[in-house]
Amino acid sequence: MRAIGVEHISKSYGSFRAVNDLTFEVFGGEIFAMLGPNGAGKSTTIRMILDILKPDSGQISVLGGKLTDATKDRIGYLPEERGLYRNVPVLEVMVYLGTLKGLTKAEAQKRAMSYLEQLDLADNAKKKVSELSKGMQQKVQFAVTVLHDPDLIIIDEPFSGLDPVNTLVIKQLLIDFMKRGKAVVMSTHQMQQVEEMADRLLMINRGEQKLYGTVDEIRKQYALPAVRVEGEGDWSQLTGVGRIEQSENGKQTALLYLADGTTPDSVLAQIATRDDMHIHSFELAVPSLNDIFVQVVTGDKRHA
Amino acid sequence: MHKTWLVVKHEYMTNIKRRSFLFAAFGVPVITILLMAVVFAVIINNETDTERLGTIGYVDQSGVLSQKIDEPENLRAYASEDAARADLDSHVIGAYFVLPPTYMDTGTINAVSSSNIPDALQDQINTYLRANLGQGLDATVVERLKEPLNTSIKALDTGRTLGGSALGGLFIAPIIFVLVFMIASQTTSGYLMSGVVEEKTSRVMEILITSITPFQLLMGKILGLGALGLTQLVIWIIGGVITLSLGQNLEFLSGIVIPPDMMIVGVVYFLLGYFLLSSVMAGVGAVVGSEQESRQFAGIFSIIMVIPFILIVSFINDPDGAVVTFLTLFPLTSPVAVILRMGFGAIPAWQLISSLALLFGTALFVAWASARIFRWALLLYGKRPGPRELIRVIRRAPSMATTASGDGAA
Repeated sequence: MRAIGVEHISKSYGSFRAVNDLTFEVFGGEIFAMLGPNGAGKSTTIRMILDILKPDSGQISVLGGKLTDATKDRIGYLPEERGLYRNVPVLEVMVYLGTLKGLTKAEAQKRAMSYLEQLDLADNAKKKVSELSKGMQQKVQFAVTVLHDPDLIIIDEPFSGLDPVNTLVIKQLLIDFMKRGKAVVMSTHQMQQVEEMADRLLMINRGEQKLYGTVDEIRKQYALPAVRVEGEGDWSQLTGVGRIEQSENGKQTALLYLADGTTPDSVLAQIATRDDMHIHSFELAVPSLNDIFVQVVTGDKRHA
Repeated sequence: MHKTWLVVKHEYMTNIKRRSFLFAAFGVPVITILLMAVVFAVIINNETDTERLGTIGYVDQSGVLSQKIDEPENLRAYASEDAARADLDSHVIGAYFVLPPTYMDTGTINAVSSSNIPDALQDQINTYLRANLGQGLDATVVERLKEPLNTSIKALDTGRTLGGSALGGLFIAPIIFVLVFMIASQTTSGYLMSGVVEEKTSRVMEILITSITPFQLLMGKILGLGALGLTQLVIWIIGGVITLSLGQNLEFLSGIVIPPDMMIVGVVYFLLGYFLLSSVMAGVGAVVGSEQESRQFAGIFSIIMVIPFILIVSFINDPDGAVVTFLTLFPLTSPVAVILRMGFGAIPAWQLISSLALLFGTALFVAWASARIFRWALLLYGKRPGPRELIRVIRRAPSMATTASGDGAA
């Protein structure tokens, strides 16, 4: 199922081009990450998908067509800077926002309680939102977003302000949604989460598409012809190894660039046969998304 | 439509639980009723105070009371002051008074009591004396002597006839009504504005407008809080009816009548005035960034609305003058002005009709313009647009503005 189809959308504010000719798709059953530095056009894109803003040009289809009141009820959206009614009891807020998404009052109440229990907040159902800690409020906001069991979940920075335990809880919930065939779109700066969770990603910078594809593909695309080893030994004695970069962080890690025709496996085989070399770790020098992100963004700046 | 109804219910139910609303709606009328009850009880007490003194003695040295016409039961004649004094000392009587031989010339009476002489007793003695002084006169003359003044005021303009002591009521009723009107419409439209500001600052707005349209949200808020204002009015009217029936025996209260035509016109003006005010407040709330700032704007409108109240003297002295006519027609002041005038005198039909038409038209226009600004400004954070920009928004209705947080039109 195609949850979002974006074709060649552009949006300008005056002379500023916030989004420029963006095209991508999101499908049910995947976690899709939207990456990009501040001001790249992520929120503008999300708002166009949600029909809050109209694109200057291009087409957007959501859950199989133009956004209607009926499809709005199948979307769960959590904006980045978020809050809730402060002086209203938690359960009441959840039920109100749930019924606005088409749930009956009884159904909203039932689901809200079940989420509160799942998120360890059942004792706080009658408390006012303002009496909850920030982390608790975040969890309530998350529960509100998914209360109506949406087919498309769009979350801006899902993990900001959450401690590691709660991050794990929310992450598991998002993965469960994905496994049940829902489309999850998250816009985030936390690359580690993207690496762990996302199937595909879209990276935009200055309103333009920079990277688009599966996380694995993109990382391979940016992979260096090198291996990263940690251990002792004079790596230059290995055949097929060209330039060597010793890491500067004090650990005995080195980046070994491989000559054409040399495979990582053959290097590992050589090390295994030699007594004067010991390794603690050996890995392909696949860059982290973080490195790729920085590379793309700073590369853009250099060109500009 | 269903979702608008959800907003109506939510706004009504959450705001009715506010402490400030509960106090304004129930506390104030309850306090008023309690006060009335206390005043009532004190006055009743005063009336019966002659019983506190028990039997009252009197010594008639002037001969005026020799016939003892209409002698009240609690009075007892004594032959001499010494005998009366002895009974007073032994608490057989609570007080006594002496009509000296010179009474017919001076009118002086000496009262002797160990405690205060209440007004009621003096009234009683007065009546007793009048009845005896008037012996031999025509019965109707005596009746007039007993009660020379029996007033009834007819307000020429309205043709309303008011009871004896209703002069106070003539002014009090519309003033109370105006106060109730202002408190009800300003508290509820104030809630509307601070609600919008809260939803904007907490970004709940972004969730709301991906669930419902801005217009549904605006209508839900206006209807829900309007119902709340009506609830407050009804509570106060019930409270007023209870107060008036409690105080029926009180002279100054018995004159207060809320005429039904004033009530009907008042409710119509309340609804239209509230609709106008809340539309303005919704627009202000959407545009203005903070609760504090929005209160300042709300203050300006509150002051404009109470101008007729400040110029109340004009309504009494010069009800047909240019100032009053202007205030009657100007939409922001007309609700208060019309109610004041209905109480004080009559409004020419053409003025009432044009005033209603102007208010209705303005309210519709403002609601329409406000809906455009509301929609446009919902996601506008930080900078406040100037008047020129707002006029442009009203004329062209662009889609939503965003100064998207951390993104967008940087």
